[in-house]
Amino acid sequence: MRTERENRIPSAEEVLLEMGASLDEGLVPAQIFNDPELHKLELERVFSRAWCFIGHESEIPSPGDYCLRYIGQDPFIFVRDESGRVRVLFDGCRHRGAMVCRAEKGNASHFRCSYHGWTYKNTGELIGAPAWRDAYGQLDKKEFSLLSATATESIHGFVFATLDEDAPPLDEYLGDFRWYMDVMWGLADNGLEVVGEPQRWVMDANWKQGADNFAGDDYHTLFLHKSMFEIGVYQIPPRANMFGYHVHAGNGHQMSFSIAPDRDDPGPKFWGYDPEVVKLFREENVTPEQFELAFRSRVSVGTIFPNLSFLQVPLTHDPKNTPPQGCLTVRQWQPRGPNRVEVWSWYVVWKDMPERLKELSYRAAMGTFSVSGIFEQDDAEPWQSIARTSGTVFARKRNLQYNFQMGMGEHATSKPAADWPGPGVAFWPRYEEGVQRSLYRRWHQFMTSASYPSSISAQESAAASGRRDVSGNGA
Amino acid sequence: MQAETPTSAFVTSAAEADIETYFTALQWLHHEAELLDDNRITEWFELIDQDIDYRVPIRVTRERAAGPGFSTDGWHMFEDYGSLAARVARLETEYAWAEDPPSRTRRLVTNVRAARHGDGSLIEVKSNLLIYRGRYDAPEFNLIAGERHDTLRRSDDRIRLLKRMVLLDQATVATHNLAIFL
Repeated sequence: MRTERENRIPSAEEVLLEMGASLDEGLVPAQIFNDPELHKLELERVFSRAWCFIGHESEIPSPGDYCLRYIGQDPFIFVRDESGRVRVLFDGCRHRGAMVCRAEKGNASHFRCSYHGWTYKNTGELIGAPAWRDAYGQLDKKEFSLLSATATESIHGFVFATLDEDAPPLDEYLGDFRWYMDVMWGLADNGLEVVGEPQRWVMDANWKQGADNFAGDDYHTLFLHKSMFEIGVYQIPPRANMFGYHVHAGNGHQMSFSIAPDRDDPGPKFWGYDPEVVKLFREENVTPEQFELAFRSRVSVGTIFPNLSFLQVPLTHDPKNTPPQGCLTVRQWQPRGPNRVEVWSWYVVWKDMPERLKELSYRAAMGTFSVSGIFEQDDAEPWQSIARTSGTVFARKRNLQYNFQMGMGEHATSKPAADWPGPGVAFWPRYEEGVQRSLYRRWHQFMTSASYPSSISAQESAAASGRRDVSGNGA
Repeated sequence: MQAETPTSAFVTSAAEADIETYFTALQWLHHEAELLDDNRITEWFELIDQDIDYRVPIRVTRERAAGPGFSTDGWHMFEDYGSLAARVARLETEYAWAEDPPSRTRRLVTNVRAARHGDGSLIEVKSNLLIYRGRYDAPEFNLIAGERHDTLRRSDDRIRLLKRMVLLDQATVATHNLAIFL
């Protein structure tokens, strides 16, 4: 550890060593937002071990449907095989490694390598190649199937995969967040579906900016997104918008909620979904506690560690003519370099909602949160300049650390919320950066653990993020 | 939410040339590019017909047999007059950080092909578009390339944009946002 400021740039390992202590103070080193060495370590220690989002099952409804997806920077084929099973296959031929999936989406019973023609069923099984017997005699094809992700699981159609044999089952990895997936995405009999293809675009920013922002950076809406309040895209006044909850769900999964105080309160319920949509939400599909929270929910935003964020909220793309609609966008912050992120943004609707409302929900979400979204387009400005600042020699030599202290210790205005109706640990109001501290603590744990990082409960997570006075809320 | 297939726009003919239609379209496109490049967004919005249908479909890499890969239900932009008005109103606020300081843009509009349509009040135009976008003091820039399929409508002695479909040449959009109009 550098006890005194030495006049040099620290190595990645030195940054990580010091970060454990600085996180206790609510400080995060600038260097983690733009460092080639740390980026390489992240690919190995975070993305190849975590459960990463692959796609939604509705994107590949029929046997043979496939999409090309990425875990970190590694390409995988997200495919439904002939028996209907969803698979996540590594897109590299077992012969020489050339890609076998040469489109972003399509339908195929087989994937053929263009180099020598090795051909695989959509289960990944190698079935042949030109002049097989002449070339290979009795070589056992079973030994040379396409490689698969180590484990693949699906919840409410959201498919995740891990590349690590030591990863716990997805439910365990998700911790208390699992309960909230039912609240947000388990209400209707026939579930959710993705509309169209995901948008993809790039920013010269670090992937953690997006994860951090959606983990519960409500504070930035007061200023960065002021234009949205001015023109009426978002209709809850800025200060009132801060009166919500931050929820630590454990294992680095973080959320921010705004809810009605009770069922009779005027204002949006069920995230502002139209009554025709709300008709689809059935109490039988979830627990009474989950249904009650769904009923009162106005805004749910969060990040599933490491890089999947979501936003379920009433929005409008045309405030003068169209009232806000319930919307759901799911976005993944894919690392493309130390200061390069590729954003993937999906728009999700309830499968059984009327087409007219699907279109309104899609347009409201896409018009606000997307590459062109009038809400989201402002975020690129600070996020890109943070990578610029963080990559400077000066910031590294001076050990510039960013302030994540909001809600800590004696200055805290946000308090543990005893009235929160769900699992995890909640704070009220949203003047609290503990959700981000917990995200970085989990990241730090992944970056420094030789064995698979152990689970962190919401209580431990909230306590470790600088709050000593918390206890869990039961649900 | 299904749109017409983007490739269903009129097919260019090499045999006929209606010079008046061509020059009318060309002049309009050059004027529009000037307003956008000069950041005269309110004046640009006066060129927009109240019935505007403005779309930028997502494009994905597909095998040749599956066509050019333009989505029919996924969009980068899907706008009508009201949502475009919201974008213009936002740019007029003091908090439109994405374009303040503004990008320096240069729209190169070429390969213009134009034809009269309907009762003569409509002009269909295809053109190629290349946008240079630079920000701050860095010499790096973004390039956005694509083809526009536009319909212009003459009413009240003015020509306005009634339909625009921008067919991008990129699957992954190579700029940090579309806070500019294409």
